[in-house]
Amino acid sequence: MSTIPRNFKLLEELEKGEKGLGSESCSYGLQDLDDLTMTYWNGTVLGPPNSVHSNRIYFLTIECNESYPENPPIVKFQSKINLPCVDQTTGLVDPKKFKTLGEWKRSYSIEIVLLELRKEMALPGNKKLAQPKEGSTYF
Amino acid sequence: MSQLPKRIIKESQRLISDPVPGITAVPHEDNLRYFQVTIQGPKESPYQDGLFKLELYLPDDYPMVAPKVRFLTKIYHPNIDRLGRICLDVLKKNWSPALQIRTILLSIQALLSAPNPDDPLSNEVAEHWKRDEQDAIATAKEYTKLYATEQ
Repeated sequence: MSTIPRNFKLLEELEKGEKGLGSESCSYGLQDLDDLTMTYWNGTVLGPPNSVHSNRIYFLTIECNESYPENPPIVKFQSKINLPCVDQTTGLVDPKKFKTLGEWKRSYSIEIVLLELRKEMALPGNKKLAQPKEGSTYF
Repeated sequence: MSQLPKRIIKESQRLISDPVPGITAVPHEDNLRYFQVTIQGPKESPYQDGLFKLELYLPDDYPMVAPKVRFLTKIYHPNIDRLGRICLDVLKKNWSPALQIRTILLSIQALLSAPNPDDPLSNEVAEHWKRDEQDAIATAKEYTKLYATEQ
């Protein structure tokens, strides 16, 4: 296997996101379609069923800087959420508490991050955690 | 990293030893399937005097699939979108393994000379082109001056 360069990997991810070819439980796209560097992304995660998150939609921002995908993106919740891996004052996802970022692999993607966060919400220890008011935000 | 196929090595060598006029393509040292490309804007086109940077990548299945190419320099063209993605038949359904990196780059250079607003990627630009071609060309010239000319 050869190594796909950052920009072409992000273009592939964008195309998958734009055409809705991926999972229905999440969505993602560029914040600014004029951003030739493709750094700043928006994402959403649909709360998993049979949990306190059911029927909620969480908004996130994802920053894929120059070192992506060698290094993980910086992922931040905009919607307030009570999860152990999310900083409660900033919404930032802590790579030390979230394996997908902490043990990042080049083959991962924005979609994998969003779907793994969704799994995190559905964990037995997390799915009943008291949640902030729906629609509240970190900014 | 896996060994580079002979075909890619040959193509790369020829691009350097026998370059196409107005086009350069140099592989990155750390990824020989990834090329840094420049194309000079063709004479008598709105892109004249501009130097456009592009990036090109040969996927694993090349030459069974087309190279991936994108403009890195902002350009006002009905078949190139705001992210630099190119709508060109030979990059998609009309790709054939008989084509090469150089033929693809020549096709892109030709696309700059002959914008095709009837097969657009960038709808706003294509509509501008159809509505008022002279005005669209003027915008394209402005973009060339702004983004594709070394100051």
